[in-house]
Amino acid sequence: MERTIQTVAVLGASGTVGSLTGGFLAQNGLRVYFLSRTQEGSRKGLEKAIAQARSEVITENIICGDYDSMLSEAVSRADWILESVAEDLSVKQAMYERLEPLRRPGTIVSSVTSSLVLEDLPKGRSEDFQKHFLSTHFYNPPGKMSACEICGHSKTDPALVEFMADFLHRRLRRTVIPVRPTAGFAGNRIAFLLFARITELAAEYGVEMMDYLIGPYTGRVMAPLATIDLVGLDIHKAIIQSLQTHTRDAMHFKLVLPDYLEKMIEQGRLGRKTRDKGGFYKRLESGQYEYIDPKSLVYIPAFQPHVRFVEEAKQLIHIGRYRDAFERIRDAKGTEADIVQEILTTYIAYSYMLVGEVTEQKHGIEGIDRVMMTGFNWASPSLLVYMLGGKNQAAELLASKGLQVPASLLEDTVCERYPFNAGRYFPAK
Amino acid sequence: MRKKSVYLLGGYQTDFARNWARENKHISAMMREAYEGSLAVTRIEPRDIQAAFIGNFAAELYCMQGHLGAFFVDFDPAFRGLPTCRFEGACASSALAALSAMAHIQAGLYDCIAVVGVEQMKTVSPAKGGDYLGTAAWYERESAGIEFPFPKLFGKLGDVYEARYGLDNRYLARIAAINYANAKLNPNAQTRDWFMNYDHACRKGQYNTAIVGRIKVTDCSQVTDGAVCIYLASENFAAEYARRLGQPLERLPRILGWGHTTAPMEFVTKVAESEGQPYVLPWTRKAITDAYRRAGLKDCWDLDAIETHDCFTTSEYMAIDHFGLTEPGQSWKAIEEGVIEMGGRLPMNPSGGLIGCGHPVGATGARQLLDAYKQVTETAGDYQVPGARRVATLNIGGSATTNVVFIIGRD
Repeated sequence: MERTIQTVAVLGASGTVGSLTGGFLAQNGLRVYFLSRTQEGSRKGLEKAIAQARSEVITENIICGDYDSMLSEAVSRADWILESVAEDLSVKQAMYERLEPLRRPGTIVSSVTSSLVLEDLPKGRSEDFQKHFLSTHFYNPPGKMSACEICGHSKTDPALVEFMADFLHRRLRRTVIPVRPTAGFAGNRIAFLLFARITELAAEYGVEMMDYLIGPYTGRVMAPLATIDLVGLDIHKAIIQSLQTHTRDAMHFKLVLPDYLEKMIEQGRLGRKTRDKGGFYKRLESGQYEYIDPKSLVYIPAFQPHVRFVEEAKQLIHIGRYRDAFERIRDAKGTEADIVQEILTTYIAYSYMLVGEVTEQKHGIEGIDRVMMTGFNWASPSLLVYMLGGKNQAAELLASKGLQVPASLLEDTVCERYPFNAGRYFPAK
Repeated sequence: MRKKSVYLLGGYQTDFARNWARENKHISAMMREAYEGSLAVTRIEPRDIQAAFIGNFAAELYCMQGHLGAFFVDFDPAFRGLPTCRFEGACASSALAALSAMAHIQAGLYDCIAVVGVEQMKTVSPAKGGDYLGTAAWYERESAGIEFPFPKLFGKLGDVYEARYGLDNRYLARIAAINYANAKLNPNAQTRDWFMNYDHACRKGQYNTAIVGRIKVTDCSQVTDGAVCIYLASENFAAEYARRLGQPLERLPRILGWGHTTAPMEFVTKVAESEGQPYVLPWTRKAITDAYRRAGLKDCWDLDAIETHDCFTTSEYMAIDHFGLTEPGQSWKAIEEGVIEMGGRLPMNPSGGLIGCGHPVGATGARQLLDAYKQVTETAGDYQVPGARRVATLNIGGSATTNVVFIIGRD
């Protein structure tokens, strides 16, 4: 019998990931159960889903309930169970145990996790459960970020992974990135290593200066420390710790959690979710921002840095001369230029280095490119290579920073193609 | 006398979902991206381009920037001294630029002209933008002091249909839903990631507010930033270009026919003059029939698709009968029978049109021509109408004041 998906049970629908992903599924015509510990929590999730869709019409496709009263009905009717409960192995495993007697054989179970080890999640479950278990790592908000990393564990039916990849692409218009079951998959593995290094540099150069230097003009819609504030410092820490524990590579030493960051977490300064206490940024009543001083952990007013090559690059980007801007960045000298070049080259080197480890070798850099563009809104590594003047120029810059030039960079042809619509990744800010 | 053929060699459209003010970009950056993308797609060389015609409605208002032709000269050292010119005809600005490029080529003045349509609109608040758009109507009489003059004018178009023939708003909702659905297939469409369906389009509420009269948010095209760069060329140039690409000349699309009319500025005058006539907007109808005649087409059924000017659902409703898909006043039949949907007998706006793809005012005419090119060269990807050979475009400025129709096709 041909497999179809019409009904989905979303577990953890009170949270941001569960509610927005579930809402997105409802937008696409699927019948979706929103389940969480309480009916009220699920209803709050529904409100988030409505706000995302900007339409109440989707409520026709959504049934809200709590685990105690509706898990049995939802799971027995679901073609796909999308688990989005807390990022805690024991919590997830307890939920899977609960699902086991309720789900029909053959029902797909996927987790949205990317930082836990996939192999561990379905341990102890039946053969049928394990065969139909995989990870579908959606990025948030799904209405704006189309990336979805997908992978199975050692016992997942490969045909099921193929089916889900096709379904996610065709029915849900996701940018599907097949990844290997390694911690952080492709996107978080790369992005959070860079975040970690930037938090380390912030201890020395300050928060405002780091977000100024590695600002949107370097190929991202949002500056890095502002992004950590959005994600939450506690989540940042959990991802870094997971990567520290479960990955090993030549850049592992960059996965640091500076002391000041640990202290910020202890003080409950987690970012946007603790708006009153702040994070790296603190919004004042006037609408202005102050930035935390990593040395004193006191918020200090903005001093609005001004570095000549940065301002010149932004001016060139303002009029659409992107490659000229990156030539300026590439050729700039001084401490600030060293920092920008270090981050850009680390991004390129690390991404190309991971081709074949986090994504299939046969896909070259394209899988990583796609997740960075459609999951983070960052210029892809190959696009940065193009902007820096091509792979030879980029390789020279990598070498000058003491980085090993990955063979996959030298063999890459993607970075030689004209990058359509590339300007969207380079705001003149 | 047989007119010389003018070929359309394709081009490039920027991603209409982008907000260039949020990116802190100058309007010339948008033109540059459209131009550079067009070179990469068409493989035309800067030295091939002998003139650049720019279609733009109101950069002076939205961006405090006029004289857009001069920016083109900065795009390549080869362009120093290049003849450039800017054309304005409200929402039909870049169709006028294309018409003029066609005429210059037919007159033998140039062999290859870049036509750029561009508009940056997200620089101001919706109210201010609405006021600026009001200058495309008779500002003093139709726009001054009115928050959103154009929804009001095109709402009135619906009122005229209702009075003369009857109009059920559910058909307008269906038009919106079709355009949004098509836009989901178009990677450059502004609304490709937006949620929308027929039920939503039918409802009024917090997320689909009534603008004025029968016009709700979903009946409107949105405020859009965008630029398009396309190339028109003489037969001599096209033949050389085809050789360069290793293609027969016959594979390249040409302008098979065109129509261009101007109606009185005021909407009330237009409809007063059409009282008792079968078509509500007879000058729009004439632009269409002129294009049919020049292209040697019997009627709309000789076409494979239409890219029409659905600035509002009412303008597409009007286009359906004015193109001749139904008898006057019976556009609802084509909607009900699925004629205008993808897979229907004559799909309208496979790109998503202005409602789905977006409406950067001065770029829309060029965007429609580019989509016609994509259809007849079978390069439209997921929104391809299978086997399309002839596609019509209708670009209107103001309240159907300036009307420009092209028929693009290949042998």
